[in-house]
Amino acid sequence: MSTPTTTSTYTCPYCRIPSDGTSATCPHCGAPVDVRERVSRSGWAEQPPIRDMARIRFNRSTCQISGLYVPVAEMNLHPEDWVYFSHHVLLHTDRSVQLDVMKMRGGWNRVLAGMPLVMMTARGPGFIAFSADHPGETLAVPLQHNQAVDVVEHRFLVATGNVNYHWENTGVWFQTQQQTSDGTETETHYPLGRTMDRFWAQGGPGLLLLHGPGNTFIRDLAPGERICVQPSSLIWKDPTVQMWLHFEYPRGQYWFSSARWQAKTVWLTLQGPGRVAVQSVFERPETVGQVTNCSSATTQQW
Amino acid sequence: MDRIECQWCRAQNEPNRTSCFTCGAPLNQRNLVSDSGWAEAPRLRDMTEFRFSNSSCQIEGEIVPVAELALAQGDAVFFEHHVMLWKEPHVPMSAMNTGGGMKRMLGGMPHVLSIAHGPGRIAVSRDATGEVVVLPLHPEMELDVREHAFLAGTHSLNYSFVRIKGLANILHGGEGMYMDRFVTQNQPGLLLLHGYGNVFQKTLRPGEQILIEPGGFLYKDSSVTMNTVKQQYRTGLVGGHNMFLAEMTGPGRVGIQSMYVHHHKSE
Repeated sequence: MSTPTTTSTYTCPYCRIPSDGTSATCPHCGAPVDVRERVSRSGWAEQPPIRDMARIRFNRSTCQISGLYVPVAEMNLHPEDWVYFSHHVLLHTDRSVQLDVMKMRGGWNRVLAGMPLVMMTARGPGFIAFSADHPGETLAVPLQHNQAVDVVEHRFLVATGNVNYHWENTGVWFQTQQQTSDGTETETHYPLGRTMDRFWAQGGPGLLLLHGPGNTFIRDLAPGERICVQPSSLIWKDPTVQMWLHFEYPRGQYWFSSARWQAKTVWLTLQGPGRVAVQSVFERPETVGQVTNCSSATTQQW
Repeated sequence: MDRIECQWCRAQNEPNRTSCFTCGAPLNQRNLVSDSGWAEAPRLRDMTEFRFSNSSCQIEGEIVPVAELALAQGDAVFFEHHVMLWKEPHVPMSAMNTGGGMKRMLGGMPHVLSIAHGPGRIAVSRDATGEVVVLPLHPEMELDVREHAFLAGTHSLNYSFVRIKGLANILHGGEGMYMDRFVTQNQPGLLLLHGYGNVFQKTLRPGEQILIEPGGFLYKDSSVTMNTVKQQYRTGLVGGHNMFLAEMTGPGRVGIQSMYVHHHKSE
């Protein structure tokens, strides 16, 4: 008797997981299979939005993405599967789904960092749905065993139970000083937030869902390749990608510095190897005050 | 003659139509229904036009859609004054006194609704990304709508507001203190809502229940009962976390929106 063999003929350009390519969407991350890769001249690939009503399989459960502006991730949980999520993203749930609180360490530090204090768990059977509060895209990040990603805070939507989670300081900060009527005022800025979430799968593949306001673009940086991005546009990166601040001080008659204000652009430098994902909606960093102290950074005077 | 039934409002349409003449829903697309039974509100094509009474409504734009109303003589629509985007100068305006002044003030609702009378054109829109939901109301229907979510209603609708019952519902529900109630009597009416993000609808069977985040609630048939339930979780030896969800019990339709400001923002 011959043994049936599985031939992988298609590799998803987004999650890089091979499949047979016969379905309309990638069975691991929901990206359309037949979509032409749209890559800008500089190398950014627009992440294909997950099609309305596309289904993603994980363990014995499914996740269906519906809606286009603020997509909803609706999970049909198998009785033996569970997921966890930040409590403010819950949209609706069946009564049969068991909700509970996930125990987490470092509660006080999380409060100081402005991160959600309470993570909830949901255990099947039943339907449960999640959505964020900004127009944008739901991003499916499938994780293979031991694969990890670093995610900027407040982008997390939901993860499967076998995806481990902890958070650590970003190590990206700078201090400014400015003269006010009350004297010298020092302020510490965290352009990425104080902390970043790290997710990694253990004991098998896992699924991580994020929400990116606006549109999402990803790029695979070669070893040593660098790119400067707006700090608040970063969504996630591979842990192999290094990051630090980069200050640029333009020159010219309209650019000047004073005790209150300093013309500068604050960039986040990302260095490969590894993938980075950015969103098209971001906050403009403040330009007030002179930079007096910062984490590891480079500087350029134009 | 064959007719095409609209999957959203159940109106019978002539076979050559591509969108429903009473709600604008595309007729040549299947309803998008998730595995758990939530149907996406029909995504109205840009410039879709549909009729009510002797007037017509055209939906323009797709990110923050505008509803442009061409009012015939004798027709009128009412709305909260801040949703009016533009009007032709000669369109007569009047005000509807809603009654319950102090209650509405406490509930943060407008005292006066504006009424625009035909003939002429006006346009209304909201202030965030979302969808216009078109709900034709047949005679004897009653619909409860989250406060500030309605865009416009036709003159044949009776408008009132109902207090959300129960102190726990008011304090913890996140839906606000009052809901707008729209009732039709002998004539059909048309209600336009704006839902933030995407809008989904589910029809609950008698006794069927679903828990929803109160901020996501958009509308329901008045036959659906809404109650706030408290979910209590322990987070340690002394700690605890309370979560309040809206429990909807059928029979009837429930509409939700996917973008909302979480009402436990302070936690």
